[in-house]
Amino acid sequence: MPMVTPSTSGSTSGTLRVPNLPSRRPAGRSADGKVFIALQGVGKTYANGKIALRDVDLVIPEGDFVFLVGPSGAGKSTLIRLLIRDEKASQGHVLLDDRDLAKLKRRDVPRIRRKIGIVFQDFKLLPTKSVRDNVAFALEVTGTPRRQIGPAVERVLRVVGLHDQADQLPSELSGGEQQRTAIARALVHDPRLFIADEPTGNLDPLISWEIIQLLLRINEMGVTVLMATHNAEVVTALRKRVVALDDGRIVRDEIGAAYHRED
Amino acid sequence: MLAFVAFSLRRAWQGFWRNGLMSLAAMATMVLMLVLLSGLILMLAGLDATINYVGQKVQVVAYIKDTAPKNDVDRIQLVLQEMPQVTEVNYVSKEQALADFQQRQPGDAALINSLPSNPLPASLEINLRDPSDYLDVANYLRAQTSSVDSVQDLKVTVGQMIAVANVLRTGGIVVLVVVCLTVLFIIMNTIRLAVMARAEEIEIMRLVGASDAFIRWPFIFEGALVGLFGALITIALLWVVQTPLTNFMSDFFNVLPVQASVLVGRDVALIVLGTGVGIGVLGSFLSVRSYLIR
Repeated sequence: MPMVTPSTSGSTSGTLRVPNLPSRRPAGRSADGKVFIALQGVGKTYANGKIALRDVDLVIPEGDFVFLVGPSGAGKSTLIRLLIRDEKASQGHVLLDDRDLAKLKRRDVPRIRRKIGIVFQDFKLLPTKSVRDNVAFALEVTGTPRRQIGPAVERVLRVVGLHDQADQLPSELSGGEQQRTAIARALVHDPRLFIADEPTGNLDPLISWEIIQLLLRINEMGVTVLMATHNAEVVTALRKRVVALDDGRIVRDEIGAAYHRED
Repeated sequence: MLAFVAFSLRRAWQGFWRNGLMSLAAMATMVLMLVLLSGLILMLAGLDATINYVGQKVQVVAYIKDTAPKNDVDRIQLVLQEMPQVTEVNYVSKEQALADFQQRQPGDAALINSLPSNPLPASLEINLRDPSDYLDVANYLRAQTSSVDSVQDLKVTVGQMIAVANVLRTGGIVVLVVVCLTVLFIIMNTIRLAVMARAEEIEIMRLVGASDAFIRWPFIFEGALVGLFGALITIALLWVVQTPLTNFMSDFFNVLPVQASVLVGRDVALIVLGTGVGIGVLGSFLSVRSYLIR
């Protein structure tokens, strides 16, 4: 097997140089990995005039685990929608894996999205499909050859621990199991970024911890994890990086932080 | 690629049956439109064929009395042939007229045969150099009261038919455009409902990185399916009414050689199929557009 030598030159594999980026990058993080997400002076105004984000600068290195906190309407969901290129920034640049999402061609958008796994508070499972088919669906609709789908689905079902429930319908599962199905579906494309938008919002505390443990394991596999949450207990206990939004601005960006400011 | 087509077709098929009632409504409207379309095509084709036949071949027909003396008829024919306006004169005997009729309308042959004698008159078919000269010829023929029963001036008939054909063409096309738009609108609505019913599925497809094609083509195939089924039903209907239609057309166009069975052929079937599938595809394409990547 030939050795793959990582190249250190060239713009695609080297460290991304973002010009004029304010040095707000949390100390001690810069050396950990290459920049995977970079937001630079990002603003978002919706068509109805509502301003959702104002002048947001954010750098997330590959492999990081970041909590995104803030009150409802602070801009967390908008930030996520910008990252998955569901919306375009009104001002500034959103870079994902060295690519400016605003300059992305329409037909390249799906390819970028396959690098991102995403789960939501409401799971978004198809009620008429079994756990296995829900996960396989993500591969089917992206044109994966049939013979590759089966093994890939089995693998992620094992990762999330749902192998024995593979033939059940979402309605036959508990909330936690439904969320794990959604996580399996988000993992099946081997994403490099995992976004969880309030993943524990509908779950009781014990089950929430199970889901968090799963996200930590995904992070240990080298996947960058961004989790938007209101779950103060979880955020405070884990002491990860916390980015707090309020009224469309980043009001706090701390490593090893709690849910609330601790000054 | 194969996986993509198989996937799209499978989903289109599922979607078609899942929206059973709406698909049925869209299909029924589609059939209505296609029947109108093919009716118009057949009508115009029949008229055109008639106009061509009459316009090219015969301009004046004189029906000969059964009691006419043979030598008088021969004399008339000779005089006609000497007339500078006339290019050709054909004598059609009673027997020939009967044979022609039986060949044209085999369905009515039994009826004719049941009569005690041949009801068809002999005739003189006269071709004119210039159709506007018909009055001279017609007047001469009308004067031969001992032999000539009546003179049919086909030029006048042709003029009337062209007028009728033009009205039908214009009116038909207007009606057809209106019906087409209605059908397009109904198909769009049907597919829009189908899309809305699967909005969640489409959202998931977008989130997991499905390309536009994977989202769009199942619905386009579904629209095509509505068109295809509508077209097939229409063609089946046309096939069923083919014989009565042929008879009706023969009656309508009197003794002129119009054969509807030839017209209800491949061409009409292809037009019906193409229009049905085309409108289905277009309707789907338009209604699914707004759900794709912004």
